[in-house]
Amino acid sequence: MRRIALNGLWAHKRRLAGTFLSVFLGVAFLAGTLMLGDTLQRNFERLFGEVTAGTDAVVRSTTRIDDDAGPGQRAPIPASTLARVRAVDGVAAAEPSIEGRGTLIGADGRAVGRDGPPKLAGNWIADPRLNPYRLAEGRAPRTGDEVVVNRGAADDGGLRVGDEATVRTPEPVRVRIVGIATFGSSSGVGATTFTAFSTAGAARHVMKRPDAISSVVVRGEPGLSQAELVARLRPALGSGIEAIAGDRLAAERVDDIDQTFLDGLRTVLVAFAGLALLVGAFTIHNTFAIVAAQRARESALLRAVGATRRQVLGAALTETALLAAVASLAGLVGGIAIASALKAMFDAFGFALPAGGLEVSATSALIAVAAGVVVTLLAGLAPALAASRVPPLAALRDAALEGEEGGASVRQRRSLTALARGARAGGARAGGARAGRSRRRRPLTALVRGATALIAAPLPRLRGTVGTLARRNAIRSPRRTARAASALVVGVTVVTAITVVGFSLQRSLDDSAARSFDGDLAVTGGEFEDASLPPALARELAALPQVATAVGLGSGSARVDGRNGVYANADAAALSRLVDLDLRAGSLDALGRGALAVSADEAEQRGWRVGSPVAVVYPDGARATLRVGAVYGEEGIAGDVLLPRAAWERHAPQSADRTIFVSLAPGVGEAAGKAAVERVAERWGAPETQTRQEYVDAAGDGVRMVLSIVYVLLALAVVIALLGIANTLALATHERTRELGLLRAVGQTRGQLRATVRWEAVVIALLGTTGGIVLGLPIAFLLTRLGDAVGIETFAVPVAQLAIVLVVGGLAGVLAGVRPARRAARLDVLRAIAAE
Amino acid sequence: MTAAPSTAPYARTAPPPGSAVARVVGATKVHGVGDTAVTALDDVTVAFPAGRFTAIMGPSGSGKSTLLHCVAGLDALTSGEAYIGDTPLSRLSDTQLTLLRRERIGFVFQAFNLVPTLTVRENVTLALDLAGARPDRDWLDTVIGTVGLGDRLHHRPAELSGGQQQRVAVARALASRPQIVFADEPTGNLDSRSGGEILGFMRRAVDELGQTVVMVTHDPLATAWTDAAVFLADGRVVDALDDPTPELVLDRVRTLGG
Repeated sequence: MRRIALNGLWAHKRRLAGTFLSVFLGVAFLAGTLMLGDTLQRNFERLFGEVTAGTDAVVRSTTRIDDDAGPGQRAPIPASTLARVRAVDGVAAAEPSIEGRGTLIGADGRAVGRDGPPKLAGNWIADPRLNPYRLAEGRAPRTGDEVVVNRGAADDGGLRVGDEATVRTPEPVRVRIVGIATFGSSSGVGATTFTAFSTAGAARHVMKRPDAISSVVVRGEPGLSQAELVARLRPALGSGIEAIAGDRLAAERVDDIDQTFLDGLRTVLVAFAGLALLVGAFTIHNTFAIVAAQRARESALLRAVGATRRQVLGAALTETALLAAVASLAGLVGGIAIASALKAMFDAFGFALPAGGLEVSATSALIAVAAGVVVTLLAGLAPALAASRVPPLAALRDAALEGEEGGASVRQRRSLTALARGARAGGARAGGARAGRSRRRRPLTALVRGATALIAAPLPRLRGTVGTLARRNAIRSPRRTARAASALVVGVTVVTAITVVGFSLQRSLDDSAARSFDGDLAVTGGEFEDASLPPALARELAALPQVATAVGLGSGSARVDGRNGVYANADAAALSRLVDLDLRAGSLDALGRGALAVSADEAEQRGWRVGSPVAVVYPDGARATLRVGAVYGEEGIAGDVLLPRAAWERHAPQSADRTIFVSLAPGVGEAAGKAAVERVAERWGAPETQTRQEYVDAAGDGVRMVLSIVYVLLALAVVIALLGIANTLALATHERTRELGLLRAVGQTRGQLRATVRWEAVVIALLGTTGGIVLGLPIAFLLTRLGDAVGIETFAVPVAQLAIVLVVGGLAGVLAGVRPARRAARLDVLRAIAAE
Repeated sequence: MTAAPSTAPYARTAPPPGSAVARVVGATKVHGVGDTAVTALDDVTVAFPAGRFTAIMGPSGSGKSTLLHCVAGLDALTSGEAYIGDTPLSRLSDTQLTLLRRERIGFVFQAFNLVPTLTVRENVTLALDLAGARPDRDWLDTVIGTVGLGDRLHHRPAELSGGQQQRVAVARALASRPQIVFADEPTGNLDSRSGGEILGFMRRAVDELGQTVVMVTHDPLATAWTDAAVFLADGRVVDALDDPTPELVLDRVRTLGG
């Protein structure tokens, strides 16, 4: 029987090509995503290993402020710590480190790196062994207005040694570039930009006080272990200051990135890979089912000459297992290409990931292959069982492959019985026909038939006989059509659900912006809402004669009620003049330094009311207890917590605005006002100035970008679904050889034949797409109800987008039909009509 | 039904009786190459006159089906030329051949003559529909009436008996009012009564509708319905017979060693 299985595979190699491809693609995607995860993990490990390579220990504050994504931001420590560290026995060298943010403005007047990567500023560490950067050109900064920038940033901004430039920290600082640095051998840490002042310059421009530094980096005497060094440092440090070994620091950073970024990315990617495999399973099942039906006679013959049911089942399963194994292994190899492509895609979308070769862990390889094999076997099980149930008697009759009969063995048996009954009643043919009409119609089959007929209804009028033939072909076997479309249904359901949920979220954000923003203009830091606008800009704008009010909304890392996060801050009284926060309780007018405002949702969750005390840790490590001064309903712009600007400014060295809201003076037109604002903004790195409408429209931009990535990921599932349709049509064409030969003989041109196959493909694709949209809408509705917590307030159906999905589905059908159509058209007329 | 009234309206399109509607000159067809080459047709020259019912007879492997396929533009000759009217087929592209088949030729095959998804009526007008041509209603009614299918027009082929299916095929072949109808063993799968009906329809198509029919068969009884028979053996024309009767045909077949 094993030989039979092998022969079977070989004989049906063309038909199984589609199945092979779907398993291959599914596994390749899964393997690729897992490999991407492995690779990123390894690259981050390597990166942080390099960053801390020469550092044996770091002395830093115990107070951590930021939640995620940030570079492990902590409260500063006194600059005097440095002297104490240097005095410790066993310390060979110790250097102060100052880290913060700084946006380098390129030669074109725009921010280098735009909205993408983190933009860091700090001090140039004098000891080359403690500094992960190497000078490639020029020299280290000596005075407060000299900087070294990393090669990537310099190239991106068109800056060279000797050039003058501006760094926003966030106040603009005029600097001269005296050196260009590389990170190891690469031009930077991913696309991150880094501007290094002298230590004094960094203290002035980044830390903004001379008596504080971010940390001390320490090198021990040769032969002294890191643990021993840390143990010796510890007693010398004051309270709230800790020492950590260099290797532990690297591991800690890898853990951070794992938790905050990689795990999430992996989950999302694997979810899409799983979807691709699921869609693939439908395609696989479909192909096996058709092949099994086509081979019903062969199976019956085997049974008739003495093969047991078990042997027939074994042969079918062996065939499936072989295919599963080969395709999965090939998919593993294909995964490498997918991983590279995915990485390139993320790069293209602006998520710069660290460079480096692909990394494949044995676990990932095993998971991908095992998933492929198991899914394929499961999908092939039912058709294999069906093959084994074909009665020997079926060998004796002309097994109908298509027509109302789906080809499943159970049905064949049933119709055989009907035939036999009809024969006994006299007149086998009439009996057969009657059986055909009275055959049990399942509701689902009827539904598919009805839907297909409806979708294809305009075809005969559009395309005449070609249309009629395509329509009838699509309806003739509703079960097969349904199976062919099922994979696409799954894919499109997800596309629809995500599109509708995304649109609803976008609409909610837009609505919220439209509801609450009462001003005329908004100056924004960028898509990622990086707070990079200096507070001085808002003050300068407010002083313009064309401007009535200009108020900045800042944001930054802090700890509120024990939770680290990025929180908004503003002069609430001024803000409420331009942004309607929908005040629910308390007053926004007199928060002063001692009170904060919170959203109604947040207040409810935490059990806060006006007057409740809330513990806050500021970026400089200062602790304070604020009370709730106001509760507001509109969280679209300010988020859940609004800290008082007056307090924030004192405790955040790099206090910066995310958005500056502007209202124009009476009588000033929007265009004139915008021009005036832009003239000022030009000198501050030219942040984008939006009109009210532009601001409202841009509110959902982030969602749009995420959606576009999701679509790319979903495209693969849809491609696999199309393979299923192409597969079905190729098989149908094979079955209809004689019919096609006849049509060609009596005068159907090759073009007409191709069109017939193509239109059938379009009908199936449209059926799948429509089914997916119909299923996706209620799912999306439920998701938006559940999504209330993340700010989805409205359920909005993007009719235009769904129409596009439908059109793309139809066009995809054309694509799916290309190969089967071409094969059908190549048909040798003579051989077809002579075919047995 | 008398010949005169039904023939008259259509006589203008039919070529003058006796001139050749289809012919092959020096037709040679070799299948395969080298050692496995088989000569199916060996320098055959034969013409099929207009307005007549001609049989091509011969034992299995004599090349009769190959001759039919080549003259009908379904297969290409190795050498020599096939003509429909005055059109040499070897110079036509696949599309031109297809259009020629659609407009000028009708086919009846031994089996699987009908598209299962189309109704009887749709099958009958298939070639016309593919051409986007408007069927001539009178002619269509005449054809459908001739083969007696008026009450089955909206049935699907699966609901018809084998004999009925072949009648639809004959109607389909005639529907576009072709210059010539080729029938390849049209009664091969039928019982003698149904077969007789089919032959009778083709006979009437020639007598009453002025059509030209060429039929491949190995059945002497079927040949008896024709006006003339051409005998093939080993790829050559070995004999011809006018007004064949079953006895004459059997006699020839025996002489030829078929």
